[in-house]
Amino acid sequence: MRTKNIVILSGKGGVGKSMLASALSMLFSLEKKVVSLDCDVDTPNLAIWLNESKGKIISTTKSLKPEINRKKCDGCGLCAENCQFSALIMEKKYPKLNPFLCEGCGACKVVCPKGAISLKPVPNGEIKLITTKYGFPLIYGRLFPGESGSGKIVSKIKEKAEKFIKEGDIVIIDSAPGTGCPVIASVRGSDYAILVVEPTISGVSDMKKALKVVDYFNVPFGVVINKWDINKRITKSIEKQFKNKILGKISYNKEIFKAISRLIPIMESSLETKKEIKDIYLNLLKRT
Amino acid sequence: MKKICITGGKGGVGKSMFAILLANELLKKGKRVILCDCDVECPNDYLLLGQKLGKLVGQVYSEFPKINKKKCKKCGICVKTCLSNAIFQVPNKYPLIMENLCSGCKACGITCPYGAISFYKKRTGRVFLTKVKKNFWLATGMANPGLEETGLIVAGTKKTILGLSGKINPDFILFDTAAGIHCPVVSALLGSDSAYCLTEPTPMGAYDLSLILELCRKLGVKSKVILNQADLGNKANIYKIAQKFKVKVEKEIPYSKELAIAYSNGNLLNFWK
Repeated sequence: MRTKNIVILSGKGGVGKSMLASALSMLFSLEKKVVSLDCDVDTPNLAIWLNESKGKIISTTKSLKPEINRKKCDGCGLCAENCQFSALIMEKKYPKLNPFLCEGCGACKVVCPKGAISLKPVPNGEIKLITTKYGFPLIYGRLFPGESGSGKIVSKIKEKAEKFIKEGDIVIIDSAPGTGCPVIASVRGSDYAILVVEPTISGVSDMKKALKVVDYFNVPFGVVINKWDINKRITKSIEKQFKNKILGKISYNKEIFKAISRLIPIMESSLETKKEIKDIYLNLLKRT
Repeated sequence: MKKICITGGKGGVGKSMFAILLANELLKKGKRVILCDCDVECPNDYLLLGQKLGKLVGQVYSEFPKINKKKCKKCGICVKTCLSNAIFQVPNKYPLIMENLCSGCKACGITCPYGAISFYKKRTGRVFLTKVKKNFWLATGMANPGLEETGLIVAGTKKTILGLSGKINPDFILFDTAAGIHCPVVSALLGSDSAYCLTEPTPMGAYDLSLILELCRKLGVKSKVILNQADLGNKANIYKIAQKFKVKVEKEIPYSKELAIAYSNGNLLNFWK
């Protein structure tokens, strides 16, 4: 059997992606080999949902930033003029870099007539590995605050994960919120997508935006409605629209919040939520 | 005029909700407020306020390269120049440009020795403005679906709104950011006077709070913490982190079913407690 990459996304943040990813990783691991990837590199939380902490760094990632050699620079200003991101400005005859705006594209380097600019690799993140107590590896990335390049870190996680993945494994990919570069990098190459939605007007709007990314890559998908009972009217309309795509529903439960505050993974709690997620898992098995 | 960011690292911690409640509170005090939705991938403030997007007041463009086959000698220098890997070439064929990977940096146009690369403008985002009620305007930045680099849309949205603020003359502009800590969030935070960082009393909330506070510190933006759903989890870690970063927990918002329902239905206009 071939490997299955299952990506979990939602558009909106905080609707239960990582909770579901942690629970599904645990459920799949009872029957198959699982590799779990946390691709929300801005705010990676999947390890916490599994009550794991210390990861081992398996790779550091770098982005490029220009370095200006003042001995060679004659202050012509071409670099600042050609920076499309306004990251270089001329100050007292010399270009000054605002690293927070720099994309590391190198346009400044190639336009400099004096060869005064070089690109220097700067660490922007790291990839870590945890062998979880449930036996499966969790690989996650971390973007350092103030650095850029989260999409590339996501691609790097996937590259680094390759040697852990064997034919027939299940790969669970927990994506970032939004629809930008890290999400696109998470969905690319996936075999199935789980869209998590909460029945709020914003939850539905964002899920439809995430669905556009899924459709762009032609990935088959299913829908999970989390906190379905906080607005039954909107839940009904989601069910009506997505009919047989619905994998299941999870009830709102304040106890989830409390359980995770005590670092108890959902599948080890005594909450009703466990059964609801088990049903989602069984439905998922039929579809993938 | 004060420019305040509402941010938080973690998704779903109540950034938009708090931004609207803060706007409502300022309006009650007679202030003039622009709420500027900078979550350009998934803007929701207009939905939460039960509004339409309103009038198109600005557009954000990027410039993408195009190869002139009459001038191109297939030398491949553009391919080597492009650090986004957006230019691809089969040997002895014309290079292909993959627009969705292109950052619009124009470096390829600089290095092409034959002047074979020109640029065309393409709209990558839009900015809308609507007057919600007396003294209250809502601006919305919106990226084109599928756009990867959305930081520039945030920068363009802010520029448009700051340009209009001379006419509107607001006392406050509230920038509601996306989740996370990458480019669109950085763009929203740059140049702001202060930031409210929303969080929740869970280990995830605590970890993500430490990341956003570190980002604010690096960017030199003064920050305060707002603890949402404060009564549901474990607050101690949040206070520990606030203390570590020497910032104040300005407010605790308890869980409220009434607020959750108003939020889910998009009825936050005029809502306050």
